[in-house]
Formats: sequence, C-alpha cells, structure tokens
Amino acid sequence: MKVRCAFLYSLALFVLAAAWSPLPAQKPAFTVGWSVYVGWNPYYYMAKSGIMKKWADKYGITIKVQRFDYAPSLEAFVAKNIEACAMTNMEALDMPAAAGVDTTAIIVGDYSNGNDAVLTRNGVTFKDLPGKKLLLVEKTVSQYLFERGMAMNGMESQIKKVHLVNTSDSDIAAAFMTDTSHEAVVTWKPLVSQISKLPGVTNIFNSSQIPGEILDLMVVRTDVLNRPDGSGQKFAKALAGAWYETMGLMSAKGPGTDKVLAAIAEGSQDSLQSYKEQLSTTHMLFTPQAALQLATSPEMKQKMTLVKQFCFTHGLLGENTKSIDEVAIRFPDASIQGKADRVRLRFETAYMQAASEGKL
Amino acid sequence: MSLLSISARPNRITCWALSWFLFAAGICLYFYTAQKRHKENPDDRVVPTMAQLGAGIYQAAMNPDADEEPSADAAGQSTLERFRNGMLWKDTVASSRRFLFGVALLLPAVLLGLHMGLFPYFGVFFLRFILFFDKIIALSVLPILFIAFGIDELSKVMLIVIGVTPTIILDTFNLTKGVPPEQLVKGFTLGARDFDVAYRVVLKQIWPRVLNSIRLNLKPLMLFLFAGEMIASTDGLAYRIALMRRHMGMNIIIPYVLWVALLLFLVDLTMRLLNKRLHPWFREA
Repeated sequence: MKVRCAFLYSLALFVLAAAWSPLPAQKPAFTVGWSVYVGWNPYYYMAKSGIMKKWADKYGITIKVQRFDYAPSLEAFVAKNIEACAMTNMEALDMPAAAGVDTTAIIVGDYSNGNDAVLTRNGVTFKDLPGKKLLLVEKTVSQYLFERGMAMNGMESQIKKVHLVNTSDSDIAAAFMTDTSHEAVVTWKPLVSQISKLPGVTNIFNSSQIPGEILDLMVVRTDVLNRPDGSGQKFAKALAGAWYETMGLMSAKGPGTDKVLAAIAEGSQDSLQSYKEQLSTTHMLFTPQAALQLATSPEMKQKMTLVKQFCFTHGLLGENTKSIDEVAIRFPDASIQGKADRVRLRFETAYMQAASEGKL
Repeated sequence: MSLLSISARPNRITCWALSWFLFAAGICLYFYTAQKRHKENPDDRVVPTMAQLGAGIYQAAMNPDADEEPSADAAGQSTLERFRNGMLWKDTVASSRRFLFGVALLLPAVLLGLHMGLFPYFGVFFLRFILFFDKIIALSVLPILFIAFGIDELSKVMLIVIGVTPTIILDTFNLTKGVPPEQLVKGFTLGARDFDVAYRVVLKQIWPRVLNSIRLNLKPLMLFLFAGEMIASTDGLAYRIALMRRHMGMNIIIPYVLWVALLLFLVDLTMRLLNKRLHPWFREA
C-alpha cells in the first residue's frame, strides 16, 4: 500500500511540476496543411530546406508544415485545426466556404493545364459515353472536368445518362487498368500518366482545354488573418515570402534547379523525371506578377461562376443553400459575387502584391 | 463502499438509470457542442443541430439522389412511393443485397470447416493453406482482386468472402474438433455411416455455436462491405457516406451511421433470438 501511495504522490507531483514549469515566451504558432500534388509539393521542400523557418523567424512566428491526405486536410481546415491549407478553388468553395468558414485565398499557385484528364479505351468519345460507366471520384474537379467536356462537345443534355461509378482515388488507376470492361475514367496526375501508358487508351479531354478554371490555392481562415495582434498578417506574409522564394528556385535557369526539383519531387516519392512531366501540364505561376495578373483578370470572375454553378447544382454548397448567391465570393477589385453579407471566399492579392514589389 | 463491492445489488430503477446514463451524456454533449459551434458560425456543417439533422433525415428518406434522372411524376407520388424512391431506401436495398450474398456464402464455409475437422484427408489438404490465407489482408491486394473479379458487384461480395470466410472455416474446424470422440464412436457402433455422424451428430450440436460465431463476425463482414463500397460503387450506404464526406454533409452522414447501427443491431438480435428458439438446449453466450 505504501509503495502505491508513494508512486501516486510522485505521479501527482510530476504532473503538477509539468503544469507549473515556466513556459518560454510563446511565439504565435501556425500550421499549414498540404497534400501530395505537383503544385503543392513545394511546401514539402520549403519545410525541409529551412526556407519556411527562415521566413517564420523573420516575422517572429512559428510555422509548422504538415502533410495530409487531401480530404482529411480539408476536414482539418474546416474543423479549424489548422490555419492554412492548400486546396483547389472548387474545394475552397464547397468545403470551408459552404460550411460557413470565412476563407481567404492569399496565393494563387498554379492552374491545372492538362493534369486532369478524361481517358477512354477502344476509341470511345464523348458521343459514346451516355449509357456507359465512367470511373471517377464523384463531386470533385474530376466530375467538373467531365461535365465541362460534355458541355463543350454539345452533350450537356446527356450528362445524367452517363453512369458515374464513384471510385476511390487510391484504387482508381488499378481498377481502370485491370478491369477492361470499363471504358472511361476521369482522374489526375500522376495517375493519368500511368494509365496513358496502356495501349489503346486515349486522352479525349483534359484541363488544358479549360485553362484557369481549376486553380490551386493557398487559403487561410479569414479570422486568423484578422487576429488583433497582427500575427495572422505576419503568417500570411511569411507564407508568401517562402512561397515565392521557392518559386524563384524552381524556375531559375541554372544547374541547381534540377537539384531543387528533385528535392521537391521527394515530397511525393516521385522521380525528377516524373515530376518534370507533371510540371509540364501544370501552369505554375512562378512570379507574383503572373499570379496577380491571373487573379485580377476579368475572366477569373467568369470562371469562378462556372465552378460555383457546378457546386450549386450538385448540392455541394449544402442542401439548405437555396440560392447560389448565399455563398458569396469577394474578388480583388472588391466586387462581390452574391449577397454582400454572405461573403465566404475572398481573393486577397495584398501578399502577392507585396511579393511582387519586394516588400516582404 | 458497497458501490464498488462485488456483492452490490443495485435496484431496478438504479439499473435503468445507470444503463442509460452514458447515452444521455453523449447526446447532451453532442447538442451542447452543436449549439456552441452554431453560435460561432451559423453555417457550421461539422456538428449539425437537431433541425439540420431532421432536414437531413427527411431529405435522405424522401428525396431521390440529386444526380439521378428525375422520374416523370415526382410530384404526384404518395409518401410511401417517395420513400421507396428515396436514396435511403435504395442505398439500404443495395447494401442489404450484398450483405445477404456475403452471409449466404458463409454456409459453404461452415460445411468446409466441418469436413476438415472430421475427414482427415480434407483436413490435411486445406488446413495449412487456409491458416495462411486467413492472415492475408485482403484490402492490400485489391488490384489482384480487380483482375479476378472486376470492380462491380462480384468484387464486393468476394471481398467479404475473402475477409470473413477463413475465420468461419477455422472456427467451425475447431468446434468440430471439440466434439468428444466417444460420441463419434458411439454413433458408429449404433450403425451410423460417415455422413450420418458428420451431419446428424456433429453438425447438429455445433450448429448453435457456429451461428453464434457468424453473428459475432457480422461486424467484420460489414467493415469489408463498407470498404468495398467505398472503393468503387454507384449505390449503397457506404457509397453515400463517402460522397457526403466530400462536402461535409454530416447532417446526412450521422443519420446514416445510426441507421446502419440500428440495422446491425436488429440482425444481431434476430439471430440471437432465432438461435435460442431453434436450440433451447443451448445455454451459452
């Protein structure tokens, strides 16, 4: 009995001591979530090479970079477990924005320029698809790409006649490649590259035919940006600074570039060659100027309207969202698409602007 | 300290209150969180409120899948027709069908286990392989399954079969081995032939335990079914949950999860009652 009491006392003392030990003056800490994708792998490099730490130190904060699977990263962002997350414009709308989490896109990193594709075997075209099965991850950019493809081929009225098979992205390549009874699939790289190598598979439509519609963003919760102590602003500046420094290294013309790219490819266990192949179908916005130009262009609004319309017709904005205007978007020129009191997604160019002027 | 004593005898009201306490606490905690989160963010979808859940249940039960072609006279349907066209009913039917196929395929497994336990040639032929096969994680060799069974219905049923049957075979085998050999000898001396002994002496008395073992394996079975539906499907309960996860449709996911729990509970209860009714002499579990 005595032994046990002594043990309990020491345990209690230990806990108390741990609780009372004076904490060092805490720097504000932030977490960035990213998932494997050609346009987001640079975050892996930023963390590994110390670029992120350098910029965080400059602004007196701590930034943790954490890798997730894509869906969990979105869930963590919506649940407010992480402050910033890499996601596409579509998921920014239908996950955080539609769930009432006011979200600000601070970096437009790239757009898919062929990364997403509709692939078929046996020469199947859009005209043949009605009545056939189509493998894809439903309610994602894959479905968006498929519907845009149908629309652009004059088949819009037939979209519902195609039988969609919701297939997990971890198995979709194996499923399509081994089960030859399925003739069409929509997916993204690097899976597209794997599948394309099969004889008899054709790429009938891809995202280079809808440039600038599938954007890859870095988003931050607006309430974090607006923290009264200003630490959120510092966080955004540090992120932008680290991002454009890395972009500079990636796009530099020199012998060191391949080394950087190989290190970035490591983030997804890709080879340098495979990563370069993926980059060739990704329109990276290497400079803040290029990103600014895209973000402030008038086409941006039209493209976001298309994406939002897709989200709305598929119930992705929530079953209770009666009107497309209930999830509003604020653009860099301060114009608002939708109801002014329901702005949920904002495009903020201040940080890219500062980067372009070298003021970070 | 009678509270912590083994010989404590709580009265009926206490028993009732205590057994429901954790349910009540869980529900209260849930709605407290929901209310708190909605105060911060009225559009919160992670922890839906009562009203949102109600709307979700209504929508799941009464409305067809939004991506389906709407049927011609959606407006003129009666409530029952609308329910039968609703996604909840259609998903339940699709999943139940796979579930029943899976369970039906467990019966050959029981027979195999019985024969392995009784007939030595069967035993040596199968036992080592099935012991090995039992340890294979079916989900990790999916591409091979796709080659063999495609990605349609068959592969989902086969995933269940591969996942659950080895357990049932080995369990039946052990139960068969557990029947006292004296009974077999007695059967033979009374003039029974091999199959009489197998089916009328051994199977008959291990049957309630086998049913019990199947009942306890319903949950792994359901897990494999859900995994299969999440990999590739066009309907089913897990298909819907996977889709809803894509945009945080927790107001539909939570009712679905509770619905699956209820269905599983009912199947479990039915099997238990059936076992009791069929084998009144069996007094275990």
